[in-house]
Amino acid sequence: MNRKILTSIKALSLVVVAAVALEATALVQYYYSQKGMREEASMRAESQLESTRNRIMDVIDQVEAAVRNSVWVAQWCLDYPDSLQRVCQRMVEDNPVVAGSTVAMVPGYLPSKPLFSPYVCRSEEGVLKFLSLATPEYDYPSQEWFTKPVELGEGCWSEPYVDEGGGEMLMTTFSMPVRDRSGAVAAVLTADLSLDWLTELVGGVKVYPQAFSMLLSRSGRIMVCPVETLVMRKTASEVIAGMDDGEALTGLTRALLSGESGNIPMQYQGVTSYVYFAPVERTGWSMSIVIPENEIYGGLKRMGTVVLLLQLIGLAMIVLMLRSFIRSQKRYRALDQRRERIEGELHIANSIQMSMVPLVFPPFPERHDLDMAATIVPAKEVGGDLYDFFIRDEKLFFCVGDVSGKGVPASLVMAVTRTSFRNMSAHEESPGRIVTAMNNSLSAMNESSMFVTFFCGVLDLAGGEFRYCNAGHNPPMMLTDAIRALPVEPNLPLGILQGMDYKEQQAVLRYDDALFLYTDGLTEAENAVHEQFGEARMEAALHGRKSAHDHLENVKQQVAAFVGDAPQSDDLTLLFIHYLPVGGHLTLHNDIGEIPRLSAFVEETVQAFKLDDTLTCSLNLALEEAVVNVMQYAYPQGTVGTVSIDAALRDGALAFTVTDSGRPFDPTASKEVDISAGVEERPIGGLGIHLVRQIMDDVRYERVGKKNVLTLVKRLGTTKGRTNCK
Amino acid sequence: MEVKISRENNVVTASLTGRLDTPASQEVAPQMNELAEEAGGTIVLDCKELSYISSSGLRLFLMLRKAAAEKGGKVIVRSISGEIRSVFLMTGFLNLFEIEA
Repeated sequence: MNRKILTSIKALSLVVVAAVALEATALVQYYYSQKGMREEASMRAESQLESTRNRIMDVIDQVEAAVRNSVWVAQWCLDYPDSLQRVCQRMVEDNPVVAGSTVAMVPGYLPSKPLFSPYVCRSEEGVLKFLSLATPEYDYPSQEWFTKPVELGEGCWSEPYVDEGGGEMLMTTFSMPVRDRSGAVAAVLTADLSLDWLTELVGGVKVYPQAFSMLLSRSGRIMVCPVETLVMRKTASEVIAGMDDGEALTGLTRALLSGESGNIPMQYQGVTSYVYFAPVERTGWSMSIVIPENEIYGGLKRMGTVVLLLQLIGLAMIVLMLRSFIRSQKRYRALDQRRERIEGELHIANSIQMSMVPLVFPPFPERHDLDMAATIVPAKEVGGDLYDFFIRDEKLFFCVGDVSGKGVPASLVMAVTRTSFRNMSAHEESPGRIVTAMNNSLSAMNESSMFVTFFCGVLDLAGGEFRYCNAGHNPPMMLTDAIRALPVEPNLPLGILQGMDYKEQQAVLRYDDALFLYTDGLTEAENAVHEQFGEARMEAALHGRKSAHDHLENVKQQVAAFVGDAPQSDDLTLLFIHYLPVGGHLTLHNDIGEIPRLSAFVEETVQAFKLDDTLTCSLNLALEEAVVNVMQYAYPQGTVGTVSIDAALRDGALAFTVTDSGRPFDPTASKEVDISAGVEERPIGGLGIHLVRQIMDDVRYERVGKKNVLTLVKRLGTTKGRTNCK
Repeated sequence: MEVKISRENNVVTASLTGRLDTPASQEVAPQMNELAEEAGGTIVLDCKELSYISSSGLRLFLMLRKAAAEKGGKVIVRSISGEIRSVFLMTGFLNLFEIEA
């Protein structure tokens, strides 16, 4: 649950971070784009302003130059007033930009003519018209174009005006005073400039489709603007005053008329526009280009929209990917957890399975007659192999089994089989009956049709008698003087046929004999080229005298070396039993009649230890002498007691311990018999202990508690006292 | 254990068959004692079928030998096995008895 929330938070923060990063990038890009576009707009506007102004100035210059060039002619003609019209005609004819021209005399200068102003202008058809401005209606001396140069004493441009009664058009006039020889202003020479071309020139400036240009006169009168009804009718201030939010624009008007160039943003009806403006020198006009912000940033906004859309799509994709990622994470985690759980459970299952079989070796450290080792190497975490053993009533019960199949199902059957073995062998000593009972039990509940090959043995540790029963398992190897497979009835594996009667077989294990039980995981172990380890290699691996542990390690190593890197194909189970009976035990009543039992015991001991049977006779003799001595001397006649004899083979010597609970009696204390004495001197007694000393290598007496303990040691490999009974 | 006694030309032959261990010696002691009464003559102990002898058996042989020595007779041990010969050797009996193959 916690994890879930954490994952969601992580995912969310990832989305947020991605969004912020995207937005930041977009903002930065937007900012720089805007800046760039703004700069570009400024550049375009300024260059247009510049070029338009240059073109205006070009015309202005032409007109001014024409007037200036004609002033001296006019000056010269002052004395001949009638020729002044000629000057005007030349001005119009020679300068296509000049729409009309006049030389207006200062009133009263000419005595003959108080008002005199011949005017030449070009008709719409291009024909020259000759007019006079000296009409009372026109009253030229009051016109600005006349008064201003007279006042200033130098050339100047008039405010634009519609010349009614003159040029009959919107025009502006450049006027220069014409001085007489005395230097007084005698007349004013003018050249009219039609503003039609100006409208065309300025109005045609289109930086952006929605942008427009304006031209204001010195007084703020609108000379050129897209709304024709305003042209010459209104001043900018008047127009602005009529607007709803006009107040905000008063600053603008002031800036436009300041005679400087620059740019200024303008808010009008919620639309921001940028106004670029520059003065047209000498005329006092101000040209401006108004570009709505939308025009400048239109592309940017479109791009911004596209970018935003792309970002949203990107974010949506990130969210989708995150969701699917989180889901798959969850799935993987769930799978991981499942796998971990299964692995954990298999691990536990393996531990449980392993805890079912004896794992501590040596299993019976107090016993010297058994050397055992066993191992299970499952091919998977759990396997279907098993071994088991235990000792009951001096009998070793042991088994090896192999459940068909591998893995968990096999391991369960293995557990059942092992339990069944323990149950059936708890009160039964016959391997045949154990296996028969196990088969019935396993067949009865075998619904999964799994079967078990099984070998069960019961070894009587006292005598080496070995009874066994095979249920379809590989015959164990028996290691005696030679190595050979134990002859076995094949029989059916367990769990196949209920009611089957399993036959039991018998063998005898002697001292130093060994049994090697295995599952087919050994013989069928395959190397990389699918060769099997086989019985020949197994047999070869069993040669040599080794401890059970070393035997198993050796076999395991050989298999491992053979298999190499190939994967283990089947469970491998090995059980090695080395029978090393340390000797026998015999208890006799203190009755001479028990002696034949002693003889039989000695004979068995020699056989059990696989000693040279030429020893039998002399050992028999020594033991008989020792035991008879005890019976006759330790126990006073008529008393009842026992004599026990233990035989043990250790350190290359055979040791017999004769123990009795009679009165203290030390046979070794008796005097040595003189065997060289003659017949008469020869004592009847004393021969027994003499023979014992002759035959055995070491004879020791000890009184231990209330017991006499006589130890007779015969070192093997010596010929001392060896007799031949044959 | 079985002891068969036969007489022929003043020679008493006792054929011993089996194992002359302690119980067997006790068993055949009366027969051997009877034989000791004829120790003035020649007694042959035929050991051809004797497979084993312990000190009790040796004691019976020695008693017979002592009786013969007392009565001036003679005890001949015939056909002893290697095993019994080695017991005789260990006990010095080879010197006490006349051994015949």
